Amino acid sequence: MMNTGYVRPRTLEDALAFLAENSGKTRIVAGGTDVMVDLRAGTLKTDYLLDVSRLQALRGIEIIGNDLSVGAAATLSEIYNSAILEAHAPALQKSAVNFASKQIRNVATIGGNVAHCSPCGDTLPALAIHEARAVLSSPAGERQVPIEAIASGPYMCALPQNEIITRFILKPATVAFADFQKIGRRKELAVARMSMAYMADKDAEGRICFFRFALGACTPTPQRNHRIEAMLTGQIPDAARIWEAGRVLAEDTIAVTGRRASAVYKESAIQGLFMRMVYPLV
Amino acid sequence: MDPKTVHIEFTLNGSPRSLEIPGAASALWVIRNLIGLKGAKEGCGIGECGACTIEVDGKAVNSCLMLAAQLDGADVLTVEGLASEDGLHPLQSSFLEHHGVQCGFCTPGLLMSTHALLKENPHPDHAQVSKAIAGNLCRCTGYRQIFASIEDAVKHNSGEAAQ
Amino acid sequence: MKPEYNVIGKSLPRTGSVDRLRGAPVFAADIQLENPLILKALRSAHDHAEVVAIDVSKALAIEGVVRIFTAADIPGKNLLGIINKDQPLLATDKVRSRSDAVALVAAETESAAHEALAAISVTYNPLPSVTDPFEALKTDAPKIHPKGNLLFSRKIRQGDAEAAFAGCASVIEKTYRTSMIEHNYLEPDAGAGFVDTDGTLVIYASTQNPHYDHKEVVTLLGLGDNQVRIIQAATGGGFGSKLDLNVQGFIGLALFHLKRPVRHVYTREEAYLATAKRHPLTLTVKTGADADGRLKAIKAHIVCDTGAYGSYGIAVASRSAVHVTGPYEIEHVDIESYCVYTNKPFCGAMRGFGAPQVAFAHESQIDLHARDLGMDPLDIRLKNCLRVGSKTGTGQVLTASVGIGECLEAVKPYYREALESGVSAPTHPFRRRGIGLGAMWYGIGNTGVQNPSTAGIEMDPEGHITLFTGCADIGQGSTTVLAQIAAETLGVQPAEIRMVVGDTKYTTNAGATSASRQTYISGNAVKDACQKLGDVLMTEAINRLHSPKDSLVFQDGHVVIKAGPENRPEDRIDFPCLAKRIHAKGVPLFWQGYFDPETIPLDPETGAGSPYATYAFACHLALLEVDTLTGQVTLEKLVAAHDVGQAIHPENVIGQICGGAAMGIGFALMEEFEPQKTVSMKDYHIPTCADVPTVIPIIVESAEPSGPYGAKGVGEPALIPTAPAIINAIARALGERIYHLPANLERVLAASISSGHFGPQEVTHG
Repeated sequence: MMNTGYVRPRTLEDALAFLAENSGKTRIVAGGTDVMVDLRAGTLKTDYLLDVSRLQALRGIEIIGNDLSVGAAATLSEIYNSAILEAHAPALQKSAVNFASKQIRNVATIGGNVAHCSPCGDTLPALAIHEARAVLSSPAGERQVPIEAIASGPYMCALPQNEIITRFILKPATVAFADFQKIGRRKELAVARMSMAYMADKDAEGRICFFRFALGACTPTPQRNHRIEAMLTGQIPDAARIWEAGRVLAEDTIAVTGRRASAVYKESAIQGLFMRMVYPLV
Repeated sequence: MDPKTVHIEFTLNGSPRSLEIPGAASALWVIRNLIGLKGAKEGCGIGECGACTIEVDGKAVNSCLMLAAQLDGADVLTVEGLASEDGLHPLQSSFLEHHGVQCGFCTPGLLMSTHALLKENPHPDHAQVSKAIAGNLCRCTGYRQIFASIEDAVKHNSGEAAQ
Repeated sequence: MKPEYNVIGKSLPRTGSVDRLRGAPVFAADIQLENPLILKALRSAHDHAEVVAIDVSKALAIEGVVRIFTAADIPGKNLLGIINKDQPLLATDKVRSRSDAVALVAAETESAAHEALAAISVTYNPLPSVTDPFEALKTDAPKIHPKGNLLFSRKIRQGDAEAAFAGCASVIEKTYRTSMIEHNYLEPDAGAGFVDTDGTLVIYASTQNPHYDHKEVVTLLGLGDNQVRIIQAATGGGFGSKLDLNVQGFIGLALFHLKRPVRHVYTREEAYLATAKRHPLTLTVKTGADADGRLKAIKAHIVCDTGAYGSYGIAVASRSAVHVTGPYEIEHVDIESYCVYTNKPFCGAMRGFGAPQVAFAHESQIDLHARDLGMDPLDIRLKNCLRVGSKTGTGQVLTASVGIGECLEAVKPYYREALESGVSAPTHPFRRRGIGLGAMWYGIGNTGVQNPSTAGIEMDPEGHITLFTGCADIGQGSTTVLAQIAAETLGVQPAEIRMVVGDTKYTTNAGATSASRQTYISGNAVKDACQKLGDVLMTEAINRLHSPKDSLVFQDGHVVIKAGPENRPEDRIDFPCLAKRIHAKGVPLFWQGYFDPETIPLDPETGAGSPYATYAFACHLALLEVDTLTGQVTLEKLVAAHDVGQAIHPENVIGQICGGAAMGIGFALMEEFEPQKTVSMKDYHIPTCADVPTVIPIIVESAEPSGPYGAKGVGEPALIPTAPAIINAIARALGERIYHLPANLERVLAASISSGHFGPQEVTHG
């Protein structure tokens, strides 16, 4: 605790300059809810903590043209309370509902949730179905990467150390069906044993004309599943079809994770949770 | 300036504070060890129990998970700031009357979560109360008398409970 | 008719609540001390190993490190344990689990202490270890203690169970398993201490038993009784784990050598690693019932895994053997229970001492019989439940206060209502509802051993009353209840009684706050003391009021001639006036009270005896919904009827019932401590407020003649029936039973799959 410094630059430029100078010995902190746990456990040793939570460039949730922009320092409470998200990214809004506890939602940020690269980050499946890209700033300028590219594995961030995630660009969607669900060991304050998000629309004939789905907390990094998206698109949804899609989803997931002891539950529960979540389509 | 030590200024329970703190210290550590207020408790140290809950700019936060440096410029309320010289805050009186306290270790955190809720929503329903205090674990009461305490405070809340 | 009381039955604000509401520094981690040293213990790196050498030289060189203690620094007897002494404070020749402390660091700062822990070099010679109790019982298993791995066994035999099964219409034999459970009180163990000007070592501790702590620290340090003083700090829950010595010995050792204020506060991680757990039990139970559903015989084989040390293991094995019959009359019993050492964290007392584990079994068994015989689960319980005049498995005849029938009847309307509303009808494509019952009995106090309590009451010449009790209030409200009992006995208000609690310098031994014993046993000790003082006051009042003793009563701090039509001043005399006169005569105004429940020890061969003077009873009803697709269980309602004899403080009783129910929900559905995997509170889930449904507490008062104003106890009974009720409700919802607690996501989903509820066929029929 005594050997770690704290800096809070006033502007993004100052922050990037500090990061450039102290690359490799600085950890970016926003809400701090993951960083503090790692510091206490001794698993994070860093010379500096760079506080980006008050940077204006990282704040705000807004529609810009055809894009939905969510500031990296938007807190989970802001996401929870956002009317814009409720309308344009409802699964993301729902992912904030059961995120940790209110105390944590009040400070934890979406940028932190993504950058921490926990396989069970609750916002990730919802970001994935909106094909979210992270906007990264460095002294060299801005670039965008798909959020799936940020983690190279559980808790392993693939981003260069001189970049800061400033915001996420989502494809907004106004859909009739959208949800985020997770399974935890209790009703609140639960780490996701499994999570998933979807959004869908049906045409006048009742066929699924749009379907996006992503699974969290089961694979090393959260993933969209294009196979079941294709399977269900154009179909009249009935229970048997959804059940079958859930089976394929489980099969695909187990192919990634391998058949470990914990997979016994996961394999069935993936199918079950998928059924439960998507059932309103029937 | 050596960033290993940080100068912070904030308001604590209505009084201005100015402190030099270690850069990576938690708000809980600073409040308990540098300031000496012992109401906020360390039950787990990792944001899982809520016993360290304080209010920062009107919002309930786990002080164990907040950098003390982030208190700079903030308005901070701890359980010690609830009661006045005239006596207990109405919320505290309600906990006393409805037996919402058993061992009392979770009590300050629960009071702060509830206090912040009542600021945001003076008349929350049961589900909203549950959502606000789900991050405050209690192993003694089974929560029934805590809900009874809060719900009675809500019933009598004409705004003063959030003051 | 129920007697009328002055303050008994009134729910007063709980003593100590105001300090806690204000955030006052009353817990051991908060108490102000002058520049205290920080203590930290180094724990074992192995499950089982010889300790070859401990090199502290590098650690001692760290700035701020004051001293590092090892077993060699302990001046007295380095062996702890409340029932059997087998646990060193600091490891000597070997470590038996990763909970074992090897060295103790005293440092000026927390960070120096941490650094020192990492710098201590311990050379171990690892030994083969055993973590399964059945393996540990084999002859070639690694020997954990010199006398072997079997710590204790208890047999209870009555009649001829084997022969009785032959005549039964329904015989069920099943094996049940429960998991290791962490108490997870909110306050991690903590203590602090200083050396008083007269040289006394003063130790503040978060504890359930200050007088036991005192005895252990005195023995550990080889000191005289008056050289150590334990003061119970505010204690943030205990549930059994704060019955063992946690930090007290470390603080005593540091004070003994360093004569400087010290503080020792466990992190949550250390509290998980180093303190007692609930014993995991494996029990095979065979029961038989006749065609009418009357239970005839039970055969039970119980194995309690106590981990590396005994702690309360013997009590758990003994109590689980007595309680495995459930609150039912069974003529033929053949029960054996074993307490076995393994190289795991030690298990000790936890709310119920084995009774919650065995209740899971006996309540599952009786539901299985009901199904087997086509009977209603409530009816079969009513048919078999204990009554006044019933004989228990140990041959004890119950003479009074047997409220199990009343508890079952109290739950009946809710049960019938739920059944009539078609609770189990399939109304949803992937949710199934279920209803379940759980009943229990619980012997108040320790099992067939003496467990007295004492108390002192003093009136000063001005008439002020002080009650002295060693009874640790750990949040349940015993201080308030004891004040009420004293106030009722002496005809004053509880607020007028000054309470001196849990301080070994001023109070005498009240025994442990455990076994739901304090209201009953310490309550009686308080009443006894107050009656002695009252007798002196009455005797003096006779002279003043010129009226016989049986005409006098206590009222509002006076002795009054009762039943006088007019309220004449000459018919009453106040306490100060009496106290002055008594004092002037040299008659004592300080009196000691004593109570030890009347028990008969269990016979070592047959188990015959009267292990408890009285029993509490309860029945819970759980209404829940199972998500057949994921295994998630949502509780809708719990109804909890408890026979407490007499509720001294109804809101305290309700607080215990609801708190116990919440803990029972955790035991049923989510809690499991896995050594080395369960490290922090991220890894162990206790119920949040969202996991606890509406609980409807029902207080049944079947007065106990030997209890203070009829009271028994409720602390542990509150938890015991919850898990069985939940498990029975899940079984009813799915038609498939779970035999291994917790009924977590995995086990419930597996039951859903094997019962055929998982899948589209159910959806299409929805």
